Amino acid sequence: MNQSVFYLLSFMTVLFALLVVFSKNPIHSALYMVLTFFTITCHYVLLNAQFLAIVNFIVYMGAIMVLILFAMMFLNLGKDTEPQKPVLLKFAAVIAAGLLLVTIFAALKKTDGGQITGIASNNIGLVKELGKTLFRDFLLPFEIISILLLSAMVGAVLLAKRDTK
Amino acid sequence: MTGIIIISLIAIVILFLGLYKLDKAIVPLAVAALLAAITSYALAWNTNIYYFNNMLFVDNFAILFSILTIATTILILLLSPGYFEKISSNVAEYVALILFSLVGVLCMVSYNNFSMLFIGIEIMSISMYIMAGIRKKDLASNEAALKYFLMGSFATGFLLFGIALVYGFTGSFNLETISTLVMESGGQAAALFVAGILFMIVGMSFKVSAAPFHFWAPDVYDGAPSLVTSYMSSVVKTASFAAFIRMFIVAFAGVIHIFTPTLWALAAITIIVGNVIALYQDTFKRMLAYSSISHAGYMLIAILALGPDSGNAIFYYAVAYSIASVSAFAILIKVKALKNSESFDAFNGLAKNNPKSALALTISMCSLAGIPLTAGFFGKFFIFTIAINQGFYWLVGLAILNAVVAFWYYFRVIIAMYMKSPSSDEKIEYGFSYKLVLWIAAIATLLFGLLPGILSGLL
Repeated sequence: MNQSVFYLLSFMTVLFALLVVFSKNPIHSALYMVLTFFTITCHYVLLNAQFLAIVNFIVYMGAIMVLILFAMMFLNLGKDTEPQKPVLLKFAAVIAAGLLLVTIFAALKKTDGGQITGIASNNIGLVKELGKTLFRDFLLPFEIISILLLSAMVGAVLLAKRDTK
Repeated sequence: MTGIIIISLIAIVILFLGLYKLDKAIVPLAVAALLAAITSYALAWNTNIYYFNNMLFVDNFAILFSILTIATTILILLLSPGYFEKISSNVAEYVALILFSLVGVLCMVSYNNFSMLFIGIEIMSISMYIMAGIRKKDLASNEAALKYFLMGSFATGFLLFGIALVYGFTGSFNLETISTLVMESGGQAAALFVAGILFMIVGMSFKVSAAPFHFWAPDVYDGAPSLVTSYMSSVVKTASFAAFIRMFIVAFAGVIHIFTPTLWALAAITIIVGNVIALYQDTFKRMLAYSSISHAGYMLIAILALGPDSGNAIFYYAVAYSIASVSAFAILIKVKALKNSESFDAFNGLAKNNPKSALALTISMCSLAGIPLTAGFFGKFFIFTIAINQGFYWLVGLAILNAVVAFWYYFRVIIAMYMKSPSSDEKIEYGFSYKLVLWIAAIATLLFGLLPGILSGLL
């Protein structure tokens, strides 16, 4: 049962991800991306990672998608404004991306599944366990991220503010 | 760790100083805080303390690189009075952002856990993305910021994916745990693990601007304000290399033989691309940008020839390179302010009107070129020595050949200064702190060039 749900979800994820890339209309791409994020959220639920599922749902499907759609409406992106890349560049990009695909695929295929370390406990994705890890083992990264957010905030104000001079 | 706390707190205090219009106090306070941070690091010498569940490991390697980056930041801040004011009145924010990025740098040089590496790189980079674009009306500055941001985030994606693959295989972010697992496997590594390290190399190569991941560097270095460029090319580059080599020294030493061809090619391409394109540049600033790419290539050799002396060699190289590039950018800023041009012609006849600044620039160019009696010579010498000891003859030959080619573009500016006649009689006016930085840089370059033993035995 669990396995068939996984395969169904994976199929849908890949399908929607492909539609994001292949649809002509950027708004359609954005909407397919919502669906991709949704199926990924379902994957997290399957893996018993409740916190990640909720965060993925709120942040990616909510905030980031709204941001992308807003940006599209502001910039009024259409077919005429889309930059045309030279054929040579497209060719090079296809080769580079293809090589990357081969590398990852080969690495995945060559690695025996048994070697990969399993998850220690079933409760690892629960909010309680995550909080314990975050505030005990990963306290320093958690605290120091505040510097990251602060500098990003200062920078956003700095760049957006109108200079009086 | 005390250093990180001091710098974070003072950066926030400086934001408040800007709010209350106490602009005169900003730089003195920042320099005092940085000196305090240096003292706190110096006092921790030989103690080797782990902080917060092995997140940070402040060993002598971390202390040396921390002190180097903080000291370079002090030099750059001493150049800043009168510079940021011309851009806008938000001086406090600029200084605070530089200090924030220094906090990221300090995490990067002493990390013992890949989550700290990632957060350190992000703190440093995000502050730099902003600093590159502080000239809001200038198109080149805007382009620099946007390009740096987009490409930097893409590269960070690679780094993060690499960390995730390594985690997937080892089940840990901790460098020492990973190292133990690697040693147990006896030099054999699963394909997924190797792919993970490869992705991390790609991410780090972007940060150190090694070819073929260097395309952002010339435009960003050229478009960003010169003082910010000098920070990027000295502190950011030093920190990225410290993080890069720490990754291999501590975690992946057992499997580095797998990556020998990768790193060999990276180093060779970087040296050649940086040097050859630098030959064709017309502006001094863009030439320095390409030369900084070639310097990344020389430092990559030390990572390739990983051994007990690698950390020391890279440290010496970073010292020489940081000091020389700060002093070169300092004079570039003054020449640009006087002549409103960054081309080589702007330096024509500088020696006649300003003999001291011409001498300072000559010393820094000689150090960058690696001429004996300057620090840059021993920087290259130590790196080539460890590479020859490990048998990388071809690569060292190539590097020496390129170092000779590099004389051409470094000497172009010296020839312009001494052999050509000036277009006007204007003299450059220096403030006290400016003179201090140039003196310190010149004396340090010569001192470390004459007595390399002061620094070489520390690690």
